[in-house]
Amino acid sequence: MAAQKSKSAITVRGSAEIVCEYLDFGINSILFQRGLYPPEDFKTVENYGLPIYMSQNNKIKEFLSSTFCQLKDWLVKRLVDKIALIVTNVKSREVMERWDFIVQYEGDVTNPNQTSDKPLKQIQNEIRDVLKQIASSVAYLPLLDCLCSFDIQLYTKKDIDLPSEWADTHPADIKNAQFVRLRSFSTNIHKMETLVTYKSED
Amino acid sequence: MSTTEAKSIDDTLINMITTLKPIIKSDIKPLECETTLKRRASSTGMFDYITPAKKTKQDLTVEYIGSPREARRLRADLIEARNNVLSLENRIKHMHTVRQETQIMFDAELRSLQHQHEYDRKSITDLEEQLQTIRKRESDLKIESMELKTKYDTLKIDSDKRVEELEKQLANFKANSVIEYDTKNELITNLKSKVLELETTLKTVEEDCVAHKKLSSELEKRLSTKNEVERNLELKDQAWQRVRLELKDLEYIRDNYIEYQQQIKTHQHKLLAYDELEKENQQLKEEMKRLRDAVHNKLLLEEEVYDLRNRLTNYKEQEKKLSALQVAQVQSDLYLNEWRSVARGICETTGSDATLPHLLRSVVEHLQQQELTLTEMKVQLESQLSVSTHEAKVARSELEKCQNLISDYQASDQHKQCLIRRMQKKLLLVSRERDSYRLQLDSYERDLTMTVNTGSAAQGGIQQSQRDRIENLERIVEGYRDMVSKLEADLQKNEPTTNHAENIPIRTEQMSRLQDEIDRLKMDNDHLREQRDNLEIQLEKLSSPGNDTNSGRIVHLAMNPLAEHIQQHDNELELLKETNERLKRKIKHLEEGLEGSKLMDISTNPKDINTLKEQLKSSESQMQRLKEYFKSSMQEFRNVVYMLLGYKIDKNSNSQYKLTSMYAEQQEDQICFQLNSEGALNLLENEFSTTLEDMVDLHLRHQKSIPVFLSAITMDLFNNRTMATKTFEIDDD
Repeated sequence: MAAQKSKSAITVRGSAEIVCEYLDFGINSILFQRGLYPPEDFKTVENYGLPIYMSQNNKIKEFLSSTFCQLKDWLVKRLVDKIALIVTNVKSREVMERWDFIVQYEGDVTNPNQTSDKPLKQIQNEIRDVLKQIASSVAYLPLLDCLCSFDIQLYTKKDIDLPSEWADTHPADIKNAQFVRLRSFSTNIHKMETLVTYKSED
Repeated sequence: MSTTEAKSIDDTLINMITTLKPIIKSDIKPLECETTLKRRASSTGMFDYITPAKKTKQDLTVEYIGSPREARRLRADLIEARNNVLSLENRIKHMHTVRQETQIMFDAELRSLQHQHEYDRKSITDLEEQLQTIRKRESDLKIESMELKTKYDTLKIDSDKRVEELEKQLANFKANSVIEYDTKNELITNLKSKVLELETTLKTVEEDCVAHKKLSSELEKRLSTKNEVERNLELKDQAWQRVRLELKDLEYIRDNYIEYQQQIKTHQHKLLAYDELEKENQQLKEEMKRLRDAVHNKLLLEEEVYDLRNRLTNYKEQEKKLSALQVAQVQSDLYLNEWRSVARGICETTGSDATLPHLLRSVVEHLQQQELTLTEMKVQLESQLSVSTHEAKVARSELEKCQNLISDYQASDQHKQCLIRRMQKKLLLVSRERDSYRLQLDSYERDLTMTVNTGSAAQGGIQQSQRDRIENLERIVEGYRDMVSKLEADLQKNEPTTNHAENIPIRTEQMSRLQDEIDRLKMDNDHLREQRDNLEIQLEKLSSPGNDTNSGRIVHLAMNPLAEHIQQHDNELELLKETNERLKRKIKHLEEGLEGSKLMDISTNPKDINTLKEQLKSSESQMQRLKEYFKSSMQEFRNVVYMLLGYKIDKNSNSQYKLTSMYAEQQEDQICFQLNSEGALNLLENEFSTTLEDMVDLHLRHQKSIPVFLSAITMDLFNNRTMATKTFEIDDD
């Protein structure tokens, strides 16, 4: 992949790209699994040895690509703490579900030319395991039987230059929440922890 | 015959066989003549005839040796003879072969002949058998023929008898026929005479017939003249009818004319009165206008009156309400004063009424605050109460536990006291025993000193006594040992309790210490519980990481799908609301419109409805008049048609027309026509039309004219009706 600058050495940018790729697959998978968009909008793409449903909706694709473009930049600069996918009921504006992708920076945090020698294959295997968990999350997550939409929130550090199309927002808290911690993976630069919080039914 | 033939054949065969042998012999005979050698050979067969011949030759050569010429000649002769012999031998050989062949042939022939002979013999026997059977048959047949012949003879005799009888009968019949022939001849003559008589009568009748014919022709002539007269009469009748119809028409016209004249006169009168009528009309119109205005005014006034009445009722109600309100006001004033006095009492002021409510409010607020604090305190106290009750419960339970413990301890204490008593007793026993042992020991010592003193003389008796003593002592020692071991066991058994028994004095002390410990532990427990609660709260905060207090910023793309969706949703909602509003307004409008229209109806009612009603009435009356006119004119038209054409035409449904003739014999005699889709009329078959088949044929099928058909029917019916009268007339003539 692009991350491979030299033999099994991953740069910070490469790591950020891996993270973004994971997020792309993960978020698309969530959008499909949680039924936020009709299944005919999705097309299977083989990745990490897993068939992943990728949205063919141009609006979603555009939104995700622009989000990830900015996210990559901030990940490289180590300004992002968390990426949250918020699933909200459109009618009542109630937050139904939140998928947290918590970023932890490992290794020498100050070094901008940090590299990791973790084999790519291993990272991909770890990502595959997380994606499998996401795909199977439908089993325990409550059914979203209302019109829902999603948003991606980035939890950043204070000192960031916010581009014009970005805006501040409020944290999406869920009352009476339950959460499930999924597996995590690490590139030895970025450690991604995935967590799904959902509204408890009772 | 056959036997003879067979015999002859046999003979010939035998002859042939016998003759063959001599023939062969004769054949051989000439050979014998030629050479002896040959004959010998032939007679004897074929064996060894050459060797003797050679011997003879050798004998010859030995005889003739004398002269060389002779010898030469002889040699030549010899050679020749030898050649001859050779040739002859060859011939003999050839002949032998021939003979053998012939012999073979002969044998074959012989065999075949024998075979044939056998065959012939067989056939002969067969034939003989056949012959015998045939002979038998022949004899049978002969017997049969004999029988038949006898039968034939008997039959012939019978038939001859019958023939004779029949011939007799024939003769009788012939005699009868002659008699009958005579009688018939007589009859024929009689009949011939009758025929002649009849012929004469026929002639007379024919003559009569001619006369009758003449008569009939005369009668026919007279009939034709009568018919002509009848026809003339009919024509005249028709003419007369026509004239009568014309007369009727003319009368009708004249009546009409008179009517018209009368009408003209009336119209002239009416015209003269027209001016007056117009004047009257104008006057009436003016009056009408005035009346309409009056009516209009009256309606307006009525409306006003109605309105005022409504108002009056409203006013009355309001007055009632007013009186009620006044009463209420008085009452409330009283209440107010009471309240004020109460308020003053509460506020403890005698200030003006204006400041009173403010003061009261402040007081009330104060009270409310107090109440709030009190309730808070109450809640706190309640919680404290619950905590303390819980604690009390716990303490009580512990107390119970402790009491139980105490009772246990007391029980063990008693037990131990018993034990102690027992031990003391045992101790006494042991000390006694010890004393006894001591005594024994003393006695031993004494004994010992005694023995030492007494010497060996009494050694045997002493030894004996010592032995007894030792045994005794050993027994005592054993018993003692047993006791010791028993006591040890008892001691061991009681050891644990004895330990506690030692603690008895410090029990109360321990109890208090334990109590203290319990209290401390309780304190610790509460403390820990609190801590745990705090930690749980913290954990909850921590466990839902989204709810954590983020020090940084949370950003997102302004144009995210959620925002878009919400925007879309809002837009839709807005749109729906708008449409809803619009629809509501529409419904309202519609309702209002309905009411408005009703109001409009009421408002226009007096103005226009009357005129409209009048218009309606006038148009209705016009309609009625027209209907009546049309009805009368229709009736008239129908009558005229009936009178003119002689048919009453009724229309059925389905564009069927029923024609009833004026001269119909029965009411049911109707002709039905149906107007088909092409606009032509079709005659429908019914009972009456079937009687008019020839007319239908002539006028409809042939001439294709319905009017002609109808007039023909009219004519026919008319003739039928008038025929009776005519005949009567003729009869009268």
